[in-house]
Amino acid sequence: MARRSPTRVIGGRLLQALPVILLATFMVFALLKLVPGDIAVTLAGDNATDARITEIRKIYGLDRPFLVQYGAWLANVVQGDLSQSLLTGEKVATSISRAFPNTLLIVAIALVLALVTGIPMGVIAAIKPDGWVDKTVSLIASLGVAIPGFWLAMILVAEISLKLNWLPATGAKSFSVSPIEAIRHALLPGIAIAAYGMAEVARQLRGSLLEVLSSQYVRTLHAKGLSMTRILWQHGLKNVSVNLFTIISILVNRMLAATVVIEAVFAIPGLGSLIVRGAIQRDFPIVQGVVFTMVIVVILVNLIADLLCAAVDPRIEQ
Amino acid sequence: MTQTTRREVMALISGALAGATLGGPAFAQGAPKRGGILRISAPANPSSLDPATGGAGSDHAFLFTMYDTLTEWDFETLKPKPGLAESWSFSDPTTLVLNIRSGVTFHDGTPLDAEAVKFNLERNKSDPKSNIKADLAAMESAAVTGPLQVTVKLSTPDAALPGILSDRAGMMVSPAAVKASAAGNVARTPVGAGAYTFVSWADGEKIVIKRNEKYWKPNRPYPDGIEFSIIPELTTGSRSVTAGQNDLMYQLPPRQKAIVERASNIKIFNGPTLYVFQIFLNWAKPPFDNIKVRQAFNFAIDRETFVKAALASLAEPAYMNLPKAHWAYDKSVAGLYPHDPDKAKKLLAEAGFKDGLPIELVGYPDQDSVQRQEILIEQFRKAGMNVRFLNAPIAEASAAFFGAEKRGSGILAAWTGRPDPSLTYSLMFTKDAYYNGGRGAVPPELEAAIKESRASEDIELRRKAFATVQRLVMENALVAPLAFQFELVAMNKKVQGYRPNLLGKPKYDDVWLES
Repeated sequence: MARRSPTRVIGGRLLQALPVILLATFMVFALLKLVPGDIAVTLAGDNATDARITEIRKIYGLDRPFLVQYGAWLANVVQGDLSQSLLTGEKVATSISRAFPNTLLIVAIALVLALVTGIPMGVIAAIKPDGWVDKTVSLIASLGVAIPGFWLAMILVAEISLKLNWLPATGAKSFSVSPIEAIRHALLPGIAIAAYGMAEVARQLRGSLLEVLSSQYVRTLHAKGLSMTRILWQHGLKNVSVNLFTIISILVNRMLAATVVIEAVFAIPGLGSLIVRGAIQRDFPIVQGVVFTMVIVVILVNLIADLLCAAVDPRIEQ
Repeated sequence: MTQTTRREVMALISGALAGATLGGPAFAQGAPKRGGILRISAPANPSSLDPATGGAGSDHAFLFTMYDTLTEWDFETLKPKPGLAESWSFSDPTTLVLNIRSGVTFHDGTPLDAEAVKFNLERNKSDPKSNIKADLAAMESAAVTGPLQVTVKLSTPDAALPGILSDRAGMMVSPAAVKASAAGNVARTPVGAGAYTFVSWADGEKIVIKRNEKYWKPNRPYPDGIEFSIIPELTTGSRSVTAGQNDLMYQLPPRQKAIVERASNIKIFNGPTLYVFQIFLNWAKPPFDNIKVRQAFNFAIDRETFVKAALASLAEPAYMNLPKAHWAYDKSVAGLYPHDPDKAKKLLAEAGFKDGLPIELVGYPDQDSVQRQEILIEQFRKAGMNVRFLNAPIAEASAAFFGAEKRGSGILAAWTGRPDPSLTYSLMFTKDAYYNGGRGAVPPELEAAIKESRASEDIELRRKAFATVQRLVMENALVAPLAFQFELVAMNKKVQGYRPNLLGKPKYDDVWLES
């Protein structure tokens, strides 16, 4: 079968993403509407009366049928408008473009840390399986998976921020204004999320590397007299890189989800904080906007991972 | 402070030495100083920075800095006192004359005169997006009767109005700014006449304001500006203060107090507020349609213990909807429901529930709420009531109880104070009030007494009227008040001049920063 051009592949994948976006935003919208409690009560203020709440529903179009409201939102999105917060009137696109870089920076730092620590751990564990190095790595990896991120986050704040005063305990700074300050603020949350990623990378890499190293062609390479180092770096890692890309794509998606809790612990105004605020206040345009963004990000990450996999391993059909 | 750190001991000793050698007071607070940025950790993003269209009680912490009000209140008792209106009087029970202070301007330079006040009152009363129409329900018209005089005509006597004008309804917005903005929407571009002018608002992140150089109060404000960081997670907020990233945090949870106090650079202020934890009852359906059950419910609660166990003693037991410090507090009502489980059982038996009574209440699922519930469940159990909580997030729970669904027989929630107590009572204890969850009928003498409390401006007469209102509410046991929460504010020691207030919504009038 002839290989299709990359642009067609990307186009096709993006087209497939449409139903996913529709389904995800519709389901979240439905969930928000199914739960009792709507924003009209909040909008009506402290001294609300029944009449005022009804009036508010009318003003904001909250009395329209559920599907009509979703349709109206969707119609705006198609025109490139994510509409605005019902409560504060801020454009959802503005909120997201301000919040997204904060979240992205944390995830980027977490990913780099996870890879920088996880890959060497996985490799040294795989070289001598069941040796003491392997066992130590296994132990660290198990801890990394078992320790909840928010708990680690609080310990980090208590020790590194409050006691040693090395890094700020809360907040975020804009990367474009002062990159160093921004990284300093994002470092602790990044570490808190990275722990899980490190463990996952180390474990998965060890597993797939062991499989490769015990295969017949590696035995042949040994027989040819190749050094362990060359076998490992030239053949072993290249062969597990497909697995690695897959792990990374899954990690990025999980890390994005983990920011919801971590951002609360560090008071970081990112996408996680935004969606929590939106959900609590039933401010559905915000929730919809964030879900929409997240879905696109997840789809893009998966797409890039797939393309990379196909690039290193021609056997993978696109 | 429970523990004295070594550093503090050293400070005390050196302070005492200095005091002895210089012969002056060891800890004289210096004269207020101008300058510096006050950095505040705020627990909630405002719903709007337009006083007329906003909704949340937590907005005031921002609004008060940018908007001045026609009247203000005494921090300790909430008695109304002059603000932008330097005086007011009722020329007859349905005519309120407001005399506006001269020489005040809005941040945009627009003069704050009678025309501006009339514009605001009419906007608050009739703009479709105004959330405070009900506050001005009694107002029929507002007329300019002099360059600095507004005469408000009322349809019925409303002595609560001066108090109401210290809240949203009295916050003056620049008419020029409203007219210039699209659809009169100034929610994100506030222009008031308060101590600070608006700089920026990033939703859920930060609000920045700077000193109003033309502010009418002499020498105020002291700081160059205020930066509010919005940190909804209260533990994180208090950490931002101990770590020195913020100078002050309000709404510190009682359980955090001991932790924060361990930091040597932090001081904590507390004082009573009108914020009251209470169980709202639905008296339109069983079992609370029976007055004896409602009374038994109130006798079953051990408020003293509740305050100690659930609120770390940082609260005042509540026997009605006003705390001791309030000008309209009535002492005799406080004795109606001493903790008396036997009496409760007896009343239950009389109501036909000799073998115990299951009760379903609505509540919130957070850690603090659940702790309060557990303490109460045990207290009710001892009085023969088997209470079960149906927990849901705040928005869902309150909509389910106060809205159409009518879930549960009561809800463990809270009531934030209102500047005039008549609002508190009319919003909960009139037939069609939203916070009368069951929309149950109210004893006619209570409705009459609430009306009466607004009839005269004489404070002694009003005090008597409120005594009647409070007595009727509690005799009918239409609510089960639990405790008035103290306002807990943690701040860096360089913050000076902060005073708690009874409303429990922070004002930073005299705050200054030591360098």
